[in-house]
Amino acid sequence: MFEVSDIVAAYGKIEALKGVSLKVESGRITCLLGPNGAGKTTLMMTIAGILQPRRGSIRLEGAELAGLSPARIVSRGVALVPENRLVFPEMSVRENLLAGAYQRRDRAGIDSDIERMYARFPRLKERRDQMAGTLSGGEQQMLAVARALMSRPRLLLMDEPSLGLAPLIVAEIFDIIAELNRDGTTIFLVEQNAHMALKVAHQFFLMEQGRITFSGTPGQLAEDEVIQRAYLGTRRAVG
Amino acid sequence: MDLLDLIDAVQSVADGVLFGATYSLLGIGFTLIFGVMHKINLSYAAASIGAAYASLLVMSVVEAPAVLAFVAAAAAGGVIGGLVYLVGFRFIPLANPLATLMSTVGLLLLIDEIIVHATAGVPLSYPALFSDVIVQVGPFGLRGDLMFVFALGCVCMTLLLLLLYRTRLGLATRAVSQQATASLLCGISTTQVNVLTFVITGVVGGIAGAMTGAAIGMLSPLLSLPLTVKGLIVTVIGGLGSIPGAIIAGLIVGGLENAFQFFRGVSERDLYIMLLLFAFLVFRPGGIFAKSSGRD
Ligand SMILES: Nc1ncnc2c1ncn2[C@@H]1O[C@H](COP(=O)(O)OP(=O)(O)OP(=O)(O)O)[C@@H](O)[C@H]1O
Ligand SMILES: [Mg+2]
Repeated sequence: MFEVSDIVAAYGKIEALKGVSLKVESGRITCLLGPNGAGKTTLMMTIAGILQPRRGSIRLEGAELAGLSPARIVSRGVALVPENRLVFPEMSVRENLLAGAYQRRDRAGIDSDIERMYARFPRLKERRDQMAGTLSGGEQQMLAVARALMSRPRLLLMDEPSLGLAPLIVAEIFDIIAELNRDGTTIFLVEQNAHMALKVAHQFFLMEQGRITFSGTPGQLAEDEVIQRAYLGTRRAVG
Repeated sequence: MDLLDLIDAVQSVADGVLFGATYSLLGIGFTLIFGVMHKINLSYAAASIGAAYASLLVMSVVEAPAVLAFVAAAAAGGVIGGLVYLVGFRFIPLANPLATLMSTVGLLLLIDEIIVHATAGVPLSYPALFSDVIVQVGPFGLRGDLMFVFALGCVCMTLLLLLLYRTRLGLATRAVSQQATASLLCGISTTQVNVLTFVITGVVGGIAGAMTGAAIGMLSPLLSLPLTVKGLIVTVIGGLGSIPGAIIAGLIVGGLENAFQFFRGVSERDLYIMLLLFAFLVFRPGGIFAKSSGRD
């Protein structure tokens, strides 16, 4: 189990996370929804160790992650597919995958994992020697997912994987998410596309203005209410 | 201009291109540090000359063949590079663009002052290799010491390219310079990459410093400022961040420098190099290999 308790994170004086607590069950897909600026990316970056929390704890199977360097967090089995993908633009697809496996030393295992990624994402195989910066948005997203998987994470964090993609590609990405989960990876997903997210998620949280305001299973709240709160926030929805 | 003049001019440009390998190395150093840290390290050329001085110190203590001066300069360059990172970057607020500029200008002056203090400002002679060799190619004579400098420069560049494109450390270095946040997410320690980049560029700089000393036969604290400027010009002409650009630009600047010197005299030479810099900044700010920006 992955557990975040009472995390406070800030940019200078602005508190973006004001005491966030949530639990992600192993082997499940958990989704975090919320309007722009709610603090979803901040939470993901804090879990990955890019931002240091002011307070609170982040535990994976009981072991504390808060305060560790991003590299140590990767080695504990957590990988983030970042918002906007952030592929290495002037490296080939293959080199991007190798970078994802940076902490691993098992050459043979890395090579066989690259082959597995090519099998899962055939379009990456066709473009293995192409510079990542010249891939389409959808291909870059696949590459970002594959790169994160190269560290063999137990917990895969994904920050808006459907951002800016055509509906067909979005459906493909969600198929892959479900497939990865079936293969045993725990997934914690940030989404703006509430409709798609609620279809795959076992559990979801709503975040508004740096706080968790709802937690439950997809059936528990009517989809249009979730969508309203996820896009607009409670205040405007009520008022 | 008669034939003899033409031969002399070509000869002079050829000498310049050979010496230009030094500028190429310095340009690569500036470019690599800029690549990973997005900062200009203004103390780089001074540190390179400092490393060459340090190699003289080693040579004065141990009785050794002249080639050892290059090894000693490389080692000293690596150590100085690490120190420059520690003093000029590690604890300096990187978010402030002026902070590291000032810290590295400070280091440039500090290194120069140390050299002046230690040598009383008197130039010291530097051992040259193959200075008695001259290879005749038709009407041209290629100086052995310059050819050695050029060959050594080529070896260094080849090794650097292999390091960058064929090793795990090179992959990490390129990752950090292309997408720092993503490289952290891949488990790459940016601090480690930064330190190693300073040490490796320091080694390269030390060799470039020794090459300078060997090619002109002496070392002087007056070398560091012009070398700093030449290194920066090479990075502008080659395109900041481009290694092939730095290599080519170094050779071009070396050749042009001698051409200007041949036709206009030594005191006018750097005027034209400076004008070239401005021409590039205005008409081709991305450098000779400026590529059309790819999609994002
Ligand atoms: N680097 C930064 N410096 C200062 N403030 C920031 C920074 N990054 C984010 N913020 C602020 O923190 C708050 C949360 O931002 P965050 O990016 O985490 O939101 P989000 O939920 O991911 O939004 P979106 O759905 O638009 O991606 C916002 O108010 C934002 O303005
Ligand atoms: Mg976000």
